[in-house]
Amino acid sequence: MMIKQALLLLALAVILGLGVNLVSPNAVDYIGKYRDISSGDGPIVPPTAMEGDPAFIDVNVAQMEHAAGQAIFVDAREEYEFHCGTIPGSVNLPFEYLPDENFAGYIDSALGYPDKDTPIIVFCSGEECDLSLHLARNLQDLGYTNPAIFFGGAREWQNMGFEMEVSPECGQ
Amino acid sequence: MRAVIDNDYLTMLSRLVVGGMFIYASFYKIIEPASFAKSIWYYHMVPGSLINLMALILPWLEFLCGIGLIVGVLYRGAALWLNALLVIFIVALASTIVRGIDIDCGCFKAAESATDSAWSSLIRNIVLLVLGVQMLLSRSQRWQLMKDRTVPG
Repeated sequence: MMIKQALLLLALAVILGLGVNLVSPNAVDYIGKYRDISSGDGPIVPPTAMEGDPAFIDVNVAQMEHAAGQAIFVDAREEYEFHCGTIPGSVNLPFEYLPDENFAGYIDSALGYPDKDTPIIVFCSGEECDLSLHLARNLQDLGYTNPAIFFGGAREWQNMGFEMEVSPECGQ
Repeated sequence: MRAVIDNDYLTMLSRLVVGGMFIYASFYKIIEPASFAKSIWYYHMVPGSLINLMALILPWLEFLCGIGLIVGVLYRGAALWLNALLVIFIVALASTIVRGIDIDCGCFKAAESATDSAWSSLIRNIVLLVLGVQMLLSRSQRWQLMKDRTVPG
């Protein structure tokens, strides 16, 4: 009895879930195309990524760009997280605390007025964090033509054994 | 003990709390399946190809079971599902704590910033599971639209 009822409820949920998705404005593909996290098989791309978003890069590309020294690395996390362990040489643009007024001017100034085609690699903690995606979209809107998102973030960088920069202000 | 478990008022309270919680939790997930898919993805526990199907079906299952529990239709099946889901959520949350993955639980507002720590979600789910088990064991059939003839008493 109990199992029959449970199966009936599941069947109803399947019909409603798949059926409503046919007409929903927020419909998703029935079969998602997600890469398994940390499979080493290309960059981590979150399900919230949309067409036209900046490119996603994997940890190896991020590391190569870092070694090449041409790109600006931008840490989108809060200041305290940035101080306590970030990719060396990164600029901190805490996405949740960016000013509304003169947004473009603030970003340009924080980045050191780079050329608009300078490669900018944005990251945050790791795959649970969307800040890098939102910030990279904003950079794109501001006319930067070469932002990229390193979605593996500080955690994947650290897990790879790459150097982390810790500021003396950590914990203060 | 049996008298406590079978108490009509306690059973109704459990139904309202657990059912209500699941109905509330299902809303955002039904409205925003992509965000909920991302929450599932964070847990690193579900194969990529199944994430969207789970994000589409699970919230409706929560909603239907929540309604079933409160109004007393397909009550036993609904109680079984919600207990099973709570056990799965508890295992998933505990695994993220053990593995050190810092996540928003995706319990209510899917993929919002982490306002609800894994620990508090875990404790809430354990409390709900206690109520859920009481509900499942209870022989009270008061205030149920569809009575279950197989339950003694």
